[in-house]
Amino acid sequence: MATDSPGSVRKVVVLLRATGDAPILKQAKFKIAGTDKFAKVIDFLRRQLHRDTLFVYVNSAFSPNPDESVIDLYKNFGIDGKLVVNYACSMAWG
Amino acid sequence: MDIKQDVGNVFPWDGTLTSSDFFRAAHMFSDKWRRFNTSVPPWLWVEGYLSLEKMSLFKSSEEKQDAGSLISKEERNMLENEEPFDCASLGPESDYQEINHYDFHVVYSASYKVPVLYFRAYHCDGQPLLLSEIEKGLPGLSVKLLSESKWTFITQEEHPYLNRPWYKLHPCGTCEWMKLLFSTHKSLTTNGSTIEHYLISWFSVVGQVFGLKIPLEMLNCS
Repeated sequence: MATDSPGSVRKVVVLLRATGDAPILKQAKFKIAGTDKFAKVIDFLRRQLHRDTLFVYVNSAFSPNPDESVIDLYKNFGIDGKLVVNYACSMAWG
Repeated sequence: MDIKQDVGNVFPWDGTLTSSDFFRAAHMFSDKWRRFNTSVPPWLWVEGYLSLEKMSLFKSSEEKQDAGSLISKEERNMLENEEPFDCASLGPESDYQEINHYDFHVVYSASYKVPVLYFRAYHCDGQPLLLSEIEKGLPGLSVKLLSESKWTFITQEEHPYLNRPWYKLHPCGTCEWMKLLFSTHKSLTTNGSTIEHYLISWFSVVGQVFGLKIPLEMLNCS
């Protein structure tokens, strides 16, 4: 469940899910402030995987704009208390 | 339930649409867009393709990495009612916000069997933008992604209906990433609602090239 401690920023649990031939992260689950933008999740993925050309999408056949806030995405796409973010790498040339 | 030409009948789904699927998908998409996107121009069906014209992309030269924001109709009306807007009089030192206008057309490709986004852009004074100028206005990583990833890239081609050169996002990778997008939501391909969702999903990807957002409300099924 997105934790809701009084006086603090509501956090969202994000689960990063590798699809296709993308490498699986050792640490795939983490909490992020709901007010953060989706760009932060994308940047995290890029740094962890050392790749810029990632294809990132959520479960309803939708690729969120990096400018969306994580809490809005959780409200629309969250399941069982977390936001599942899928990523694929096989979109690079060569 | 519509089974005859329904993409849900092709299993496993290959990410493509027939042209009649596209016709239906386009009308569903433009209806939803009109309902949830009241501050931007609507998509209009124009004898074979979807058209959204004179979209103003309003980007601060200082915050290049942020997605360009769509200015609302109210803001646009305010700008139009003020003194004639002389682009040349704004100095580069000020928080100069470039207003470029975009025309977007969604045209079906019979060879790739997917939609293709055609576009052209021009300055607020009507002067057409070259691709290099367009690329300068795209959100931070778009240009890099366009050159490195194989999901799309920009080419210039004759518009299939208008016989004039337009830019387009090449469709060669589209069916692959559409397949990927729908892969985590199996029910979308087997119960036939692919057509209803197709262009929303498709646009959520291609719109990002220009920093455009799909309102999340559009995703809640009608």
